Amino acid sequence: MRRQQPPRTLPAEYADIEFENNAQRLPLVLCLDTSSSMAGPPIDALNTALSEWTRELHDDVSLSYSVEVAVITFGGRGVTAWRGAQPLEPGSPVGPFVAANMFEPPRLAASGVTLMTEALELAMHVVAARKAELRAQGFQYYRPQICLVTDGLPTDGTGHISRTWQRLVPVLAEEQAARRFRLYAIGVGGLTDLAEQVLQAYAPKFNARLQGFPFRQLLQMMSASANAETKGAGDEVFEKIFSQFKTQRPAWEA
Amino acid sequence: MSGPNGRTVLLGGVPVVLAAEPLKGGGQAAVYPVEGDDRVVVKLYRDPPGPEQERRLTRMLTMSPLGGRPTDRSQRPELAWPTAPARAPGGAFLGYAMQRFGEPEHVQLVGLFTRAQRIRLFHQRADWRFLLGVAWNLAFMTARMHHEGLVIGDFSSSNVVVDANGFITFLDCDSIAFTDAVTGELFPCLMHTTDYSAPERLAGGPATRASDDFALAVLVYQLLTAGNHPFGGVPHDSAPESTVQDNIAASISYVVRPEQVVVPRGTVDPSVLPPELLGLSRAAFGPGVLDPGARPSAEDWLRALDRERSLVRVCPDRPMHTYGSHLSGCPWCGRASVTGHDVFNLGPVPTPPPPPTGTRTALLVGVILLILLIVIVTV
Repeated sequence: MRRQQPPRTLPAEYADIEFENNAQRLPLVLCLDTSSSMAGPPIDALNTALSEWTRELHDDVSLSYSVEVAVITFGGRGVTAWRGAQPLEPGSPVGPFVAANMFEPPRLAASGVTLMTEALELAMHVVAARKAELRAQGFQYYRPQICLVTDGLPTDGTGHISRTWQRLVPVLAEEQAARRFRLYAIGVGGLTDLAEQVLQAYAPKFNARLQGFPFRQLLQMMSASANAETKGAGDEVFEKIFSQFKTQRPAWEA
Repeated sequence: MSGPNGRTVLLGGVPVVLAAEPLKGGGQAAVYPVEGDDRVVVKLYRDPPGPEQERRLTRMLTMSPLGGRPTDRSQRPELAWPTAPARAPGGAFLGYAMQRFGEPEHVQLVGLFTRAQRIRLFHQRADWRFLLGVAWNLAFMTARMHHEGLVIGDFSSSNVVVDANGFITFLDCDSIAFTDAVTGELFPCLMHTTDYSAPERLAGGPATRASDDFALAVLVYQLLTAGNHPFGGVPHDSAPESTVQDNIAASISYVVRPEQVVVPRGTVDPSVLPPELLGLSRAAFGPGVLDPGARPSAEDWLRALDRERSLVRVCPDRPMHTYGSHLSGCPWCGRASVTGHDVFNLGPVPTPPPPPTGTRTALLVGVILLILLIVIVTV
């Protein structure tokens, strides 16, 4: 008796994720601001940090056992989900998650508006869809991580400051209380007070307002958090990791 | 943590300078390289360690478990035992020094659980025979530690490293549980890693030999299946957020009762384990989950692993495919032809030459006859 063949249409890279092992998976979403205010050195710094982090991810034996990465950007005219380096068309049949050891970073360019609310909604959507998919295939998962990084205030599609972000606050509160994912909301490049209030409302425990653009440390913090998650760490460990991330800033500035 | 002016600490009274960035940092402690000495690292606790931790370290520095140095010179120590206390210039206890066991020479066990990392870090060496040898070394170390009254406590795929020869070293010795032979003080293990924790530890119980035996069983099983966790898979009718930890607590393992869970397509079949090792696995992941007394001991594993080592077979088609003597054909070739995923080789799976047409027709006829026979018998 032969077992069922994998469907012929399955790209080779997929087959690899699926047949590697039965490890419990950890979906990780980077939800990145690529609006016009990020143009110039900030977006270059982000691209460099993403490349370095990718290298570290490939070499990290622990993370490459469990972690899957998706990237969502908000800038230009709207929101884009990336499958590694490839932007996905809306309604694409494949999802944005790629196994850590096969992840390649997108080359990001900065322009346009800041649809932060819509980007977070998409992040929640892809996380929920991935969970359902994993579960149907028999894979367990750790609590997913979403990392929101922005340098400004949410806008609408015409670039005007939008109040739509408020509709997300109760939704995010409920989702986080139900432990459906862990949300980090991080402001870079000298956020305004109002912009910081948005992040505080989104992620009451894990928000930060940082000077400069310390993307490398930020991504390393995400790795540390993922590592703690796969080891079954308690909430206090995540709080420690995050507070170290926040308080170590002056050393990096020097 | 490393003193007000930066990074000078005293190791047994001698000042050394630590590198600015830790090698790795968890929630509890961070491990720093020492400038000018790449054989030593220093583990500093994030929160000031209490007097018990200092007494523990002081006591450990007088012990030389597992007979001190191994006899074979190619083998590094099996325990990254503390070599000196680390203190601030003012005298405050901060952590301890130990030998460095870093990549690429020393790789966390979890690096053997994915193909990409196996091939990147072990090149063409990490076949099933190698994994069996690593499992043997793990069981050997555990059995001797238990013999000496030490309980590993926090035993997982990330705090054991393995080198190119398959020799292993346990890293987090400061969490080992033991009783001070002089004062009778018990130093418990307060750490554990959920995916390797027996139910009684998940429920808050102390680390024991039996909880080590549980973790050992999980690690041996993962090694012999190239990275599959015996408590993987989603139970039917389970809560949406079902985890390895939940399956352990509920004693649900597909190795014992596959019908209880949705098993991912890529899961290596438990039958790659030789019968005696599969029997021990079924005991550990069946009755042994909830009954610590029913778990095979490290010695049981050691004996069974020992018997298999001399019997390993090599696939005639692909030399990186090695397997147990109980199998009549290569399980890795079989799996590669079904899934397109070769567990031990990168790149496309070479298609074996098609059998001569005559044989194929004969085979086809045979299969049809067999099906007819089954249909007739069932009707």
